[in-house]
Amino acid sequence: MSGPTEVTDKPAPAAAPARGGVLARVTGAGWRRPAVAVLLVLACYAPFQLVPFRVFQLTMVLVYAVALLGLNLLVGHAGQISLGHGAFMAVGAYGAAIMLDRWDVPHLVTLPVAAGLAFVLGLGLGLPAVRLRGLYLALVTLAIAIFLVPLLKRFESVTGGSMGLTLPKPAPPAWTGLAEDQWLYFLALAVTVAAFLLAHGLLRSRVGRALHAVRDNETAAEVMGVRLPFYKRLAFAWSAMFAGAAGCVYTWVIGFVSPDSFAVTLSITLLAGLVVGGLGSFAGPLLGGLFVMFVPSISQDINDAAPGVIFGLLIIVVMYVAPTGLAGLAGRLARSTKRILRKE
Amino acid sequence: MTADDFLTVTDLHAGYGEARVLHGVNLSVGRGEICAILGPNGAGKTTLLRALSGMVRVRGAVRLDGADLTRRPPDAVARRGVAHVPEGRGTFMPLTVEENLRLGAFVRRGRGEVEADLERIYGYFPVLRERLRQPAGSLSGGEQQMLAIGRALMLRPRLLLLDEPSLGLAPMVTRELFRIVQTINEQERTTVVVVEQNAHLALDVAGRAHVLETGRIVLSGSAEQIRADEQVAQSYLGYRV
Ligand SMILES: Nc1ncnc2c1ncn2[C@@H]1O[C@H](COP(=O)(O)OP(=O)(O)OP(=O)(O)O)[C@@H](O)[C@H]1O
Ligand SMILES: [Mg+2]
Repeated sequence: MSGPTEVTDKPAPAAAPARGGVLARVTGAGWRRPAVAVLLVLACYAPFQLVPFRVFQLTMVLVYAVALLGLNLLVGHAGQISLGHGAFMAVGAYGAAIMLDRWDVPHLVTLPVAAGLAFVLGLGLGLPAVRLRGLYLALVTLAIAIFLVPLLKRFESVTGGSMGLTLPKPAPPAWTGLAEDQWLYFLALAVTVAAFLLAHGLLRSRVGRALHAVRDNETAAEVMGVRLPFYKRLAFAWSAMFAGAAGCVYTWVIGFVSPDSFAVTLSITLLAGLVVGGLGSFAGPLLGGLFVMFVPSISQDINDAAPGVIFGLLIIVVMYVAPTGLAGLAGRLARSTKRILRKE
Repeated sequence: MTADDFLTVTDLHAGYGEARVLHGVNLSVGRGEICAILGPNGAGKTTLLRALSGMVRVRGAVRLDGADLTRRPPDAVARRGVAHVPEGRGTFMPLTVEENLRLGAFVRRGRGEVEADLERIYGYFPVLRERLRQPAGSLSGGEQQMLAIGRALMLRPRLLLLDEPSLGLAPMVTRELFRIVQTINEQERTTVVVVEQNAHLALDVAGRAHVLETGRIVLSGSAEQIRADEQVAQSYLGYRV
């Protein structure tokens, strides 16, 4: 028997250019668990220390983080693009709003229904999307977002038209002793934790491996037996489902929906937030949630035209300084710190 | 055509939209054989392999071990045991070496078997074991080619399609790679179709060879016959017989 032979070849270069996903995974192995634990403790502690308005802001950060988890699956992990993610948030938000408005459906029931509705719509809209790539896909998803606002205004009898719908917020049960803002915060936190667990379970499964393969090399994925159209559509549907859930919680928290809350700018802000937060990374959606919540409102304070300018500048700066987003930057810092500590 | 033909291709036409590339290719490959496809750039060699694994629209017939593979989607072809190492290796750059290898077994079930197969692959390519947790994009070209072949073997293929494994590799590395392909072919009885610019090497390991020019097979024969052919010698081997 000739036996297996070893092939000698020049040694590999030390460092590899990798995406946020890999950076986050490499650095996350050791300290991610404790970091998540500390973060959770802080998250449970925060609403008792902050004024209601701050609690509300944090709640919205969580809502956006859930939506960004979905967008991260699609863009960061499956390598597709969407400029219409806000539309699926609107589907969840309006789905929940209409259920609450028309049929007095209990709040908790609206969540799975809204998420399921968005999932099904994602499957449907994913059908044309799987045939398109890059710029074409960006344009089609953008068209969905553009199309949505007039559509919502048009069916006034159901959606409340431009006036929107005002809805009851979920009331804190007496035994909790929580104020309304705190209760809403904890509801959003529970949904966020569940969404993170779900997204991570998904990514570690066969589906997750298939999505990564599609992202990194379509040809190779295809010859390995990964059905491209199926998995691309699935990525769309899953991402829409997270957006739908986020939209539903949005309705709970704000108690009001109107078409202009889901204009094209929301979709663009979401994508920008994810890119700045870190595509394909674990912390990206959370950091992105902070971005989506605070950057537009802070820049609005400076000047009405400022948000656009600041957005653009921030994206350019982040892309130059930290192409893997804030999460990648954090990972790099953590690793160099570890290296320094080990040397001593 | 003999009874033991494993892969038979009959009057195969394929192309990309308006551009027609293959104009009626006829080919048969025996079970357990290594078959080399030679031909100039743009002849349609890559397209032929892509047609075999269902990645381009075809007219004609492709049969593998009696089963009709014509117009089956790539995943169905993979499930039938056809592994394709695409031109340019198709490395999943940000994924680790191990994740790349595991993706090779995507259409297979059974965890235990996959673990055993990983060991088998490390047997052929020990360097991959050393690089397990490294992003595949950090491997050298030769290592990536080994990874691509190892990943294809994770399918436990009955038919292995190799598209220019020597591309961009040092001659030494290429020779080793071909030796391993030969070992795999002998030990696992895997039928191999290899497209190669380096005709010398390909003819060294192949039993039969075919020359493809502008979408047609213009010459077929045993590796010795092809090597002895004056036309081939001039065009692909760089010497006169
Ligand atoms: N995706 C594509 N779309 C359109 N035409 C293509 C595509 N891929 C290949 N072709 C054309 O098909 C013809 C055959 O290409 P193919 O890649 O099969 O050649 P090849 O024999 O593999 O060449 P090489 O030795 O350079 O790899 C070429 O003329 C090429 O321009
Ligand atoms: Mg080629």
